[in-house]
Amino acid sequence: MLSSDMSSINPQQMARRPAVVLVTLVILAILGFSLVRHLVNRFGEQRKALSRHLYQRSLTEQRRGDSQGAIADLRSALDYDPDNFQYQLSLARLLRDSGNIPEAETYLVNLWERDPQNGAVNLALARLFARQHLTQKAIQYYHNAMYGVWGNDSDGERESIRLETVHYLIGEKAFPDAQAELISWTAVLPANSELRLTLAELFAEAQDYEHALEQYRQVLRHSKKAAALVGAGKVAYQLGHYRTAQNYLTEAARAEPQNKEIKQMLDTSSAVLDADPFMRRISSKERNRRAESALAVSGKRLQDCAAARKIDLSAASNTAGLTPLYQRWLALKSKERKITPANAADARDSMMDLVFDIEQQTQSICGAPVGKDEALLLLSQNPLGVDR
Amino acid sequence: MIPPEGTKREIQSPGKSADPVTVPANHTHRIAWFSLVTTFREERFFLLLAVFIGIFSGLAVICFRLSIDWTRVALLGPAPRGHDIRLLIAPALVSLLVSVLVIHVFPQVRGSGVNQTKAALYIYNGFIPFRTAIGKFITAALAIGAGHSLGPEDPSLQIGAALASALGRRMDLSREKLRLLAPVGAAAGLAAAFNAPISAVLFVIEEVIGRWSAGILGSVVLSAISSVVVVRWFLGSEPLFHIPTVGFVRPTELIAYVVLGVVGGFAAVVFSKSIGYLRPLLRAQPRWTHYFQSAAVGLIIGLIGYLGAPQIMGAGYNYIDQAMHNQFTWEVLGILAGLKILATTLSFVSGTPGGMFAPTLFVGAMLGGAVGGAEHALYPHLMVSTGTYALVGMGVLFAGFLRAPMTSVFMVLEVSGNYSIIIPVIVANTFAYVIARSLQPTPIFDMLTRQDGLVLPSLEEEREQRVLLVEDAMEPANTPLLNGNEPVEQALRVAQAMNIEQLLVRVEPSGWSCISKDALQNLAAEGKEKEPLASALSVKRLPWLYPDLPLDAALRFIYRYPIVPVVHRADRRRLLGVISSQDVLNKYQTLGTEEETVEI
Repeated sequence: MLSSDMSSINPQQMARRPAVVLVTLVILAILGFSLVRHLVNRFGEQRKALSRHLYQRSLTEQRRGDSQGAIADLRSALDYDPDNFQYQLSLARLLRDSGNIPEAETYLVNLWERDPQNGAVNLALARLFARQHLTQKAIQYYHNAMYGVWGNDSDGERESIRLETVHYLIGEKAFPDAQAELISWTAVLPANSELRLTLAELFAEAQDYEHALEQYRQVLRHSKKAAALVGAGKVAYQLGHYRTAQNYLTEAARAEPQNKEIKQMLDTSSAVLDADPFMRRISSKERNRRAESALAVSGKRLQDCAAARKIDLSAASNTAGLTPLYQRWLALKSKERKITPANAADARDSMMDLVFDIEQQTQSICGAPVGKDEALLLLSQNPLGVDR
Repeated sequence: MIPPEGTKREIQSPGKSADPVTVPANHTHRIAWFSLVTTFREERFFLLLAVFIGIFSGLAVICFRLSIDWTRVALLGPAPRGHDIRLLIAPALVSLLVSVLVIHVFPQVRGSGVNQTKAALYIYNGFIPFRTAIGKFITAALAIGAGHSLGPEDPSLQIGAALASALGRRMDLSREKLRLLAPVGAAAGLAAAFNAPISAVLFVIEEVIGRWSAGILGSVVLSAISSVVVVRWFLGSEPLFHIPTVGFVRPTELIAYVVLGVVGGFAAVVFSKSIGYLRPLLRAQPRWTHYFQSAAVGLIIGLIGYLGAPQIMGAGYNYIDQAMHNQFTWEVLGILAGLKILATTLSFVSGTPGGMFAPTLFVGAMLGGAVGGAEHALYPHLMVSTGTYALVGMGVLFAGFLRAPMTSVFMVLEVSGNYSIIIPVIVANTFAYVIARSLQPTPIFDMLTRQDGLVLPSLEEEREQRVLLVEDAMEPANTPLLNGNEPVEQALRVAQAMNIEQLLVRVEPSGWSCISKDALQNLAAEGKEKEPLASALSVKRLPWLYPDLPLDAALRFIYRYPIVPVVHRADRRRLLGVISSQDVLNKYQTLGTEEETVEI
């Protein structure tokens, strides 16, 4: 560092100059930092005020249904307060709900990286992936949300997330996942919880009728709610437990006499039970009568179906496969009078096998039957469980 | 070098006019020793100073950004939307004030800060008036805040450079260091504005310094880093853009990026040619019109904003963000890109202070998004998101318009933090760069410099300059090659038979020497004709050259030796040719004639 006035400065002085310069620079830097800190703080306050104003405006616009205006204001709010968690989350939710998935995802992932335990962020991400039908990712974030950090009413939040998760999974027809969620939920649910009825209904929606029936029974142990009776009757019906269904539906019909669906299911259940030749505690004569009646009903169904579809049952073969069934039916019909106590069980089994074959085959050709044929068809689906 | 005692030495103050002073003799030794020590200390001090320059530039850029934001809020409102009368009025009125300030108070704030910093480095010994920094700060904050389609990076760069220059002048640094301070400050200012130190360093090297220089790299990096640290300290580490999930899935997608590169290249040419045509045209208008040019442009931009495109007003970073998140349809993106080119061109050519970095990124992002959206519409099976195209598009315009190819690639990587996108970025940028260079050979900054009557070195030109190599000038070794074990008489016979003045001698194991005919005759006269050349010679070893060395390397030897052997790198005993001072001169003369012809 040589200067023009070097002659007036001795080398020792010059050697000291860097130190002086450095001290001066440090002092200037400290002063600069203080000044800028002051300015940044003041400007920051102003920006915060602006962002609050814009946020409030966006809430008003949301209430008015102007989501685009709300998004624009939230963006501006974030321009002034870019780190605000609440604004980012609100914007991400709005973007998600208005279909702008990529940007919503970016915001939410950034928020998640900042606070991976945050329940609200995880829930928002779960809903985002749910919208995109990315089931596994949605489940992952729903779980994160369930076990994440919430405010005061954390139990309530968790319950509603579980509910939402199950609804989502049922909507996605991911029944095994939904059933797994529900089973784990029942494990932590108190015996007399108001939620048990909802759970039972969700089990039914998730096609887990066994667990649904179990939950309805638990509810009914505490109170005879009509909804529980109806639900129990329906799931028992779905399980093919027509005796149980009949019991519950009878009570349900008393509670809700105007409910046509219950009445119809009750009638069908009764018809199935009346048509069942394998039922316990009935006489052998009654069994034979039911079997013979079933054979007659199925024979008529076969002939009616063939006529409706213009199928010639006397032809050597037909594509519908009804001829062999008809020939078997004719053969059994001719032996009908030869049922003896010695061969009664075998004869009944043969008859009912044919009845079930006919009902199932005609259903595939001529559609769902009604009345006694419907009862026989239902019986064919679960012949041994009907009386449960 | 220590001069004899009692002599007079002229010590010239760096950066100042020659003013010889007499140093007393008894001080001379001490001053000489002091000079050595201070030279070493100056290097370290310079590095330390770079850190302080970074800190001060960072602080200044923060204030600058706050000023722009505050002006924008005050003039256009906190959330500008179309059909707001403020958008129509504010830019025009503020532009009038800015014009008065530029014409009467801060005349040097006109033009590009990059070029002014470059001029400081190459012409004015690093001198940038501090007044320029103040003027740039005030006028650019007003103009950008009022909605002119310009960015804060170029002024930030110049503010940094001016601060560094002012600081350096107080430090009494050597002229060499004083010159280098401007780019050091420029890197700090740009890094603070961009929040991207690597891009800032690369840009300063590519565009301001114009050459790769190891001597300054450390200082530039230090200043850039320290300024970014200061900015992040105060304003947080939030990136400039919220980059969506981007990626490169299938190699066939590169075709789509090539299209983007081509479109970007043409857009860059349109952009730069418009500026190149309109700038001198407006400057040539009568002086009184200069008061109103910026205001008229402000009115046009305000009108565009008022009619529904406020996105083009100001730097527009938040809208780049939105473009990357599919907020606009591709048609809207295309329109915004076109309007932004128009608005930026008009703002810049009207002499309104402000930079072109942010508008370039804006146009690139919008254009990228538009191309991506259009490709999606035509080929719905394309997997790439529009956000990815917008991100790549920023780099494309940077490469095509600002012609900083290295910076363009690293800038995208730095702002995205995503390495997987590097291949599309390189491919698209290369196409844009090549197309822009073919259609507009002079880069924008060089064009602006020349319009201002200056000629400054450019890395792009330097890259394209033909570098002469030794192999271009060397001649085949036609002279007979002698071995060191051959007797003197045989060498003399060869020299006399072929009438050659200089003979090359290969000396074992791998050296080279040469001997003249006269020397051989003298040896023969001394009775040493039977002796081997190697022992008879008081062997003066020749240096050798490799064919791929720059021709400059030959200049270091040929004035001392009549010929210099050019040998194979893998076998130094293998002679490829010889080179003499005449060969070198001939080659340079030929090159000079060729270049003159090209220029004519």
